[in-house]
Amino acid sequence: MTMLAAKSWDGRREEARTVFEGRGLPTRRVEEWKYSDLKSALGEAGLGSEAAATRIMGLPPGVEISDLGHPHPPAWVAQHAGTLARNAVSEASLAFAEGGIALRVPAGRAITTPLALELTGKGHVRLLLVLEASASLSLFETGDAADPRNAGIEIVLGEGASLEHVRLARAVPGVQVEEIALKLAAKARYNAHFANFGGKLSRTELTISLEGEGAEAHLSGVSVLGEAAHADITTHVIHRKGDTTSTQLFKKVAGGKARAVYQGKVTVAKGADGADSRQTAKALLLSEAAEADLKPELEIFADDVKCAHGAAIGDLEAEQLFYLRARGIPEAEARALLIHAFLEDALSGIAREDVRGMVRTAVGQALEALT
Amino acid sequence: MLEIRNLHVAVEGKDILKGLSLSILPGQVHAIMGPNGSGKSTLSYVLAGRAGYDITEGSILFNGEDLAAMPPEERAAKGVFLAMQYPVEIPGVTTMTFLKTALNAQRRQRGEPDLDAVGVLKLVRAKARTLNISEEMLRRALNVGFSGGEKKRMEILQMALFEPRLAILDETDSGLDIDALRLVAEGVNALRSPQRAMLVITHYQRLLDYIVPDRIHVLARGRIVAEGGKELALELEAKGYEHIVGRAA
Repeated sequence: MTMLAAKSWDGRREEARTVFEGRGLPTRRVEEWKYSDLKSALGEAGLGSEAAATRIMGLPPGVEISDLGHPHPPAWVAQHAGTLARNAVSEASLAFAEGGIALRVPAGRAITTPLALELTGKGHVRLLLVLEASASLSLFETGDAADPRNAGIEIVLGEGASLEHVRLARAVPGVQVEEIALKLAAKARYNAHFANFGGKLSRTELTISLEGEGAEAHLSGVSVLGEAAHADITTHVIHRKGDTTSTQLFKKVAGGKARAVYQGKVTVAKGADGADSRQTAKALLLSEAAEADLKPELEIFADDVKCAHGAAIGDLEAEQLFYLRARGIPEAEARALLIHAFLEDALSGIAREDVRGMVRTAVGQALEALT
Repeated sequence: MLEIRNLHVAVEGKDILKGLSLSILPGQVHAIMGPNGSGKSTLSYVLAGRAGYDITEGSILFNGEDLAAMPPEERAAKGVFLAMQYPVEIPGVTTMTFLKTALNAQRRQRGEPDLDAVGVLKLVRAKARTLNISEEMLRRALNVGFSGGEKKRMEILQMALFEPRLAILDETDSGLDIDALRLVAEGVNALRSPQRAMLVITHYQRLLDYIVPDRIHVLARGRIVAEGGKELALELEAKGYEHIVGRAA
């Protein structure tokens, strides 16, 4: 049995390699990559075939760890690794990351200490996270500045499981891409925040499949981008069952010649009645040359759903700025206060106060550099 | 304290104020009355330093200094306060955070040390109570979801907190019912002092029943066309603007 499973992991890798080599890197002609020219950002060297690493700072008690590349993996690894939604780039991480960390929280376990995880080095890296029924965990993800790096993360949430995932992606000089694929069973809850400070090309892509009734995904994120930084968040949420909920709130501040991208697609499958989805993306442009591309999109096949989406791009409100200055707050300070205020509702989506504090600090530093 | 001489102001190239002169001494309360479009709000904005209001001629001296040369924040730190007709909503900034930031920003510009959070909180609470402003309101984002009356009371709370030398009240009575008006007027009257001057801008005489001015100026077509004591407000109320504006023209 385990022999068979091990073979199938290798089989999946082999298959991924064939697919990736067949298709090659996506170009801007591929709709989902229209605003992120991966091929030209990487140049001749491409994504390479090296393996990057994952470092865990203290594994909280109760979390089980394994290696994806283990010749005799436990059943939960064999069952899920390499099975979730794949795209052109995650095929590459599956093919080239030699192993990777697999984590499991057993049924019913609530892990209260956050699990801090850092992606390091250049190359491809994979991670599998399985929360069994009614398990809960808070994942805090960071990474070093090595590039190019391509991370492929698979997350499986069992019935009633709850994951808080915060990704704090520092400003990097080069290319970093990350593809996160999730599936949620009934009443499972994914609460995620993505703070991003950009790179030559920086992209986070989420594919979330709400597969059980009552499953919920709540996504928020902030990007603070200066100079020629680029940051792309692309999401695809699929409501496969009824009474599922998804919310998205992404806020972006761009100065210099920076480019902020949000592409969000919500699909409500046939029969997923009672699905509720909200998408909001807003960008604040601080310079003439800064650019934002915000593209929320709905695809509805069910009859009885509640879906709302909106996007807005703007500058600071002159009225607000004058009001603050007329109260004695100097212009630079007033501007900073208003920019922080613009990001505030997205930041408050982070449930844990300690983690929220760390993200706030990073955002504060990035804003200071920008203004 | 405030000396306006032959002030001409243009907005987007259009002349709004055309030779306005006004002098206010410490301890005095002056009222500016006038019909819609006479330039009342332009005067308040030009005193506070809003962008887009170009002084084409004349001068504004505040305690002997050229007010027009100062950015809005410097005017505030020097003691000019404008209670706005339409207080601006600032989502994402709690009222308490705003009050603390503004108070300390003014203090810093005057070379005074910052007040700590506890110090500010005590000060704000004491002043908020008399204006019937709840703790819950102070925790909300500034002016967001406040009723018209709550917004005006928040302006008066700021005035009480910043203790300006010159307070300009721009249509503070608009949108207030009689109880709210009384509360706001009491707040304003409590701040009358021999060191402080006030300029009350209003369309209606009603507010001046509660905040009794020393002088009333009638503004029409960008100029002061009539001046008098508090009885002038009653005459305006009885005979209408047409009567006085017409007489002056």
